[in-house]
Amino acid sequence: MATPAATLVLDSEAVTVLADVGHRKHRALLAYLEGMAQRRSRNPSHRVIVPVAVRIEAGWDRTDPKAAVINRVSGARDVPLTGEAANTAERLRATTGVSVVDATVGEAAHAATRPVVILSSDVDDMHKLAQRIQGEIRVERV
Amino acid sequence: MTFDAGTVARALEELEAPGESVVTSVRVPEGLRHAATVLQQAGLISSWNELLVQGARDRVEAIAHRAGLDAHYAEHPELRPAVAEVALALARMDANELADEPELIEQAATELIALRPDATADDVLTYATALRAHRPAA
Repeated sequence: MATPAATLVLDSEAVTVLADVGHRKHRALLAYLEGMAQRRSRNPSHRVIVPVAVRIEAGWDRTDPKAAVINRVSGARDVPLTGEAANTAERLRATTGVSVVDATVGEAAHAATRPVVILSSDVDDMHKLAQRIQGEIRVERV
Repeated sequence: MTFDAGTVARALEELEAPGESVVTSVRVPEGLRHAATVLQQAGLISSWNELLVQGARDRVEAIAHRAGLDAHYAEHPELRPAVAEVALALARMDANELADEPELIEQAATELIALRPDATADDVLTYATALRAHRPAA
């Protein structure tokens, strides 16, 4: 029996696609967020999260009028990069060789309620991270 | 007043930073307060205040997300995913075997929406699971 995803993590490509109404994958990714929104209506503990480093890489400033689309469709909560989180991210980066930003995606997944789904274009690197994190971490290709 | 998802998100961002809090008066049913006290005494929650704040935050985020998507669909109706598309996305996120049967999900959505136009994507997945369970063996 499949266990419903409790947390959806957005990576930079997912943010880029969701921010661009004209992107050919925009509607397809909206289906994931619509699904999470429907579940959140019944159980608000379901979450969509975005590491702050991903926001920087994707150019997502919530105060910028250009961010209006991603602000309203994502429903994403920021995952701050604290000192403790940076230590975890560095350990993940060192053992997998992924980028700094991807390591923060791994750290966010590590700290989130399972099962976690990472929505990413970099499936290979995310699988490397998932193998280093205990609990059910799934990766969905953008 | 126009709903601005960014304003809600920015207000929620401030929760992460040490800052001011306000004391507010909330009418709470006695039974709920008592149940929370029992949980706190058992060490299952750290404080009544944390329970209220976290619960309210989750609910605010859920409502803002729903409102944000609805506003997006109102502006771009062609971008609203069909219920079958949403069900397929959920199946993929859930590692549900139905993810490999998009035609079955499509069939379930078509049949269920004819009966219940307000069916959710999870309703479609439940219906599709039943269809698969009663499918004649090949």
